[in-house]
Amino acid sequence: MTETIYKYQDVGRNYQKDLLGKWYKDLSTANEKKEPVAYLFISGNISELLEVFGFHLVYPEVNALQCGVRKVAGDFILKAEDTGYSPDVCGYVKNDIGLIINNNVGPFGKMPKPDLLLCTYSGCNTYIKWFEALAKFYDAPLFMLDVPYMWNGNIDADSIRYLTRQFSELIPLCEKISGKKFSMERLQEILGLSRKAEDLWVEILESSKRIPSPFDAFFEAVFFMAPIYVMRGKKECVDYYKMALEEIKERIAHQIGPVPKERFRVVMEGPPPWPHFRNFWELFKKWGVCCVGSTYSKVGGIWDLPLQGDVPSDKCFRHDPERPFETIAEYALNCYTNWSWDMRVRMMEKYLKDYLADGLVIHSVKSCRAFSVGQADVREYFSKKLNMPTLFIESDLADPRYFSEAQLKNRIDAFFESLAHKRGA
Amino acid sequence: MAKRFEEILDGCKQIVQDTNLSSVSDWKGARKSKKAIGCFPVYTPEEVIHAAGMLPVGLLGGGAIEIDYADSRIQSFVCSIARSTLELGLKGRLNILDGVVFPSICDVARNLAGIWRRNFPTMFVEYVHFPQNITSAHAVEYLVSELLKLKTGLERMSGKKISNDDIANSIKIYNENRALVSKLYQLRTKKPWAISTSELYTIIRTGRFIPKEKHSIILQSVLDAIEKRERKQRDSLRVIIEGSFCEQPPIELLETIEEAGCYIIDDDLSLSSRWYEEPIQLNGNPLESLAYAYVHNAIKSSVRHNHTKPRDIVLVEKFRELKADGVIFCSAKFCDPALFDFVLMKNTLEREGIPYISFEFEEKMSAFDNVRTQIETFVESIMFFA
Amino acid sequence: MLVAGVDVGSTATKAIILDENRKIVGRGLTNTGANVVKAAERAFKNALEEGKFEEWEVTFIVGTGYGRYKVPFGNTQVTEIGCHSRGAHFLFPNTRTILDIGGQDTKAIKVGADGDVKDFCMNDKCAAGTGRFLEAAAGVLGLELGEIGDVSQMSESPIRITNVCTVFVEAEIMSHLSKGRKVEDILRGVHNAIAGRSIALMRRISLEDEITFTGGVSRNKGMVKAIEEKLGMKLNVCSDSQFIGAIGAALFAFEKVEHENNTHSRH
Repeated sequence: MTETIYKYQDVGRNYQKDLLGKWYKDLSTANEKKEPVAYLFISGNISELLEVFGFHLVYPEVNALQCGVRKVAGDFILKAEDTGYSPDVCGYVKNDIGLIINNNVGPFGKMPKPDLLLCTYSGCNTYIKWFEALAKFYDAPLFMLDVPYMWNGNIDADSIRYLTRQFSELIPLCEKISGKKFSMERLQEILGLSRKAEDLWVEILESSKRIPSPFDAFFEAVFFMAPIYVMRGKKECVDYYKMALEEIKERIAHQIGPVPKERFRVVMEGPPPWPHFRNFWELFKKWGVCCVGSTYSKVGGIWDLPLQGDVPSDKCFRHDPERPFETIAEYALNCYTNWSWDMRVRMMEKYLKDYLADGLVIHSVKSCRAFSVGQADVREYFSKKLNMPTLFIESDLADPRYFSEAQLKNRIDAFFESLAHKRGA
Repeated sequence: MAKRFEEILDGCKQIVQDTNLSSVSDWKGARKSKKAIGCFPVYTPEEVIHAAGMLPVGLLGGGAIEIDYADSRIQSFVCSIARSTLELGLKGRLNILDGVVFPSICDVARNLAGIWRRNFPTMFVEYVHFPQNITSAHAVEYLVSELLKLKTGLERMSGKKISNDDIANSIKIYNENRALVSKLYQLRTKKPWAISTSELYTIIRTGRFIPKEKHSIILQSVLDAIEKRERKQRDSLRVIIEGSFCEQPPIELLETIEEAGCYIIDDDLSLSSRWYEEPIQLNGNPLESLAYAYVHNAIKSSVRHNHTKPRDIVLVEKFRELKADGVIFCSAKFCDPALFDFVLMKNTLEREGIPYISFEFEEKMSAFDNVRTQIETFVESIMFFA
Repeated sequence: MLVAGVDVGSTATKAIILDENRKIVGRGLTNTGANVVKAAERAFKNALEEGKFEEWEVTFIVGTGYGRYKVPFGNTQVTEIGCHSRGAHFLFPNTRTILDIGGQDTKAIKVGADGDVKDFCMNDKCAAGTGRFLEAAAGVLGLELGEIGDVSQMSESPIRITNVCTVFVEAEIMSHLSKGRKVEDILRGVHNAIAGRSIALMRRISLEDEITFTGGVSRNKGMVKAIEEKLGMKLNVCSDSQFIGAIGAALFAFEKVEHENNTHSRH
């Protein structure tokens, strides 16, 4: 899709790029303008609460993936390793350390220093180590928002209570740093906007149920999902998803999708190899593969599936102005990496079934043990117990060194070759 | 007749080196109602398990066990203890256990708990989320709710209620044990020639496979026997070992470090038996006392966030207080908490002018020449060139 | 009607020619060397010469192996996983698991009753458990690759090799040598280590009888023994095992031609 033929063509990708560009531009002057800056993580990001105080939000994970995509992560990672970081630890963290060593200048411009480090420990223990290191380097206050793990597959009252009480401890700190007082009215307004964006996002995700799918729920989703993760309570976010949905509707009307001819539908488990994103996608496009479901696109929130049972997607989790703190707490618990393995497997099973997928692709990333440990076990389950064609491939999400195109191509080709052969295609 | 130190040590070695967990089957005897619960490192609330009349058993990895099955469940870029523990389970070597409890120490342990639950559906598997926001006024309350979940699960297993008195009693027994361990550690710091770290480690590790009451008796007899031990003081380097030990070093590694010219005067081994900096104060609800102690008095470790006093500061203070000569970092391969903390700690050591050396280990390593050479060089550099 | 399969591997390039009865009528084998295209041409030429055929007589050629895109005279490419599956099944119709230990990687393939790939698993990230591991060991012990299998079988008390890295196993072997351990015991240990890793790989795709052992390392009798003993099951091995990939490729070529003939005959 290179020449513009349709009205909303490429809006999803381009508008998102513009939004992020503007966001980065604002960030570059935040310290000078003495505007408060908060660093937080995608999983469990309670951005609505921080919005109330007017914090600029920085997501080091997003910085890391941007560095990956723009081919500077390798350099930053090496700089970090020079200071003593092991080659085996998370590439995202090392990229961030490298960025700091580089005077906070990345391919997106200058990153401001934080006035607050909000560590939302939602299913990733490495987050804690990451922000402990940043607290040391920046000498900035660190608030550890402890998000209990969903071991029992449900949201229990103890967890909600613990979280909401931590919010009440966080608020005075935010007031002190930002100089602004907390306003329930403002929070409710923001939550209303979040809810709208969430409804629209789910509609986009569910469009992949169609055959052929108008939307790649992995390769396109990782960009379409950016606004709902980094600027969820803002009006621009709602506007974005309105436009993105129009693009999807247009694609449906004209029977177009991310690949010229959809031959295979897969569910993707795992993050993408950011430094080799395009090449990786090509390996699948060549076979006419469209991802109709993905788990990575749920790291910042799950709005299309319930915790248990069969609940229609519009009745699944939404932020609710009527129950502000409770729903923010529920949101923090409800991120993919904070789901137990049982729940993660259920998500994959549901997508495989509801989205009529032909197979499951597990992309295991070397430096992320939070995501990857257990994927081999999952593969066992799907391939042996459920007889679901499962492809297991490995590389890394941030480090450009751990990507072997020839080997990946071999495995991907062998997998789709056998699927094609089974069909007699 | 009081036992000689070597006799006691031999008894401990037997228990620790027994890969069949026969001390656990001995304890169970013929009573099917007696239950044993495996405890994954670093710290699990053994007091609650003990109060249920069950035996908490340390899951300390499979050592050099050959991985035949676990490879198909856990990928290779993961610490060895996760794989070897799963291997033990898949090979049926943990069938004597009725359940396993996993703590929230890191991403691998958390995910392992999920893998365990899927692969051993008949076992009782519990995961305890220890609070990481220790400055929150509500951390204690939350941990109490987690401990209650564990307590309820154990009650369901045994069909017996666990009373507050039971828990209070268990806490007292564990307090006693920790006090004795602490005495031994202090003795070793003051007179490292009286007991070597490999000996100390073996004696303490024994307590993970037998009832705590029995272990306390052993510890007391060790303290008594050391008095009569005749050991010459060597001119060795006083070092602190930092390893965030969840995965255990092979005993030969500790011996190698000592043989290379070091007295290990402090370490973070066996944290499970030393988790509290002071005895747990019993105040009202014993679960609350336990939770309070975890939040406020737990030892500083890499698997627990503590921004009131970060690890690097603790290390420097300890170094100066114990009059150490150097620090040895040995992190387990792929261990995120250890490898991340290492950088912050070493930066501070460099600033403070404290000498250190670092290397990675694996529980299954069998060649120690490399490590030995490194340590000898380190010792020489401090002894002769400092 | 003749079809051919050309398997361009990292060490050796193989070619097979089949006739209309799916009988092997030509075999070609050459070292791959630095020029992959020339290697493919050489192997094909050797196969033609053996059967006394002309190039134009071959209707369809399928390329496989890591150099499959460099077979300029090939009509299409199929991965070596697909080809190994077909080829092993052709030689051993009851095989359901294939273990392929090559110079640089190791594969375990689950194959269906019809010769189709059902699942596969590869160790392609490092040299441990591959032919390279054996080469390194042979190098340190001063032996030829061809003799290590036999030597290993003389062992009465094999030692355990714990290092999984090819780079570090050399140091480990030297350490054992310096302690006076016997060469055959060390070698058996090395073979056992590879056997263990191979079996673990096969377990990932749930290993099922019959198991066919292919790839360069399958010619090492000591390796066959080590795996069989550890597994408690017999392995299918054959002298043509090096050609299994090429045979599979030729079979794919055969199917292609058959399919086209059927399509045409319908019109």
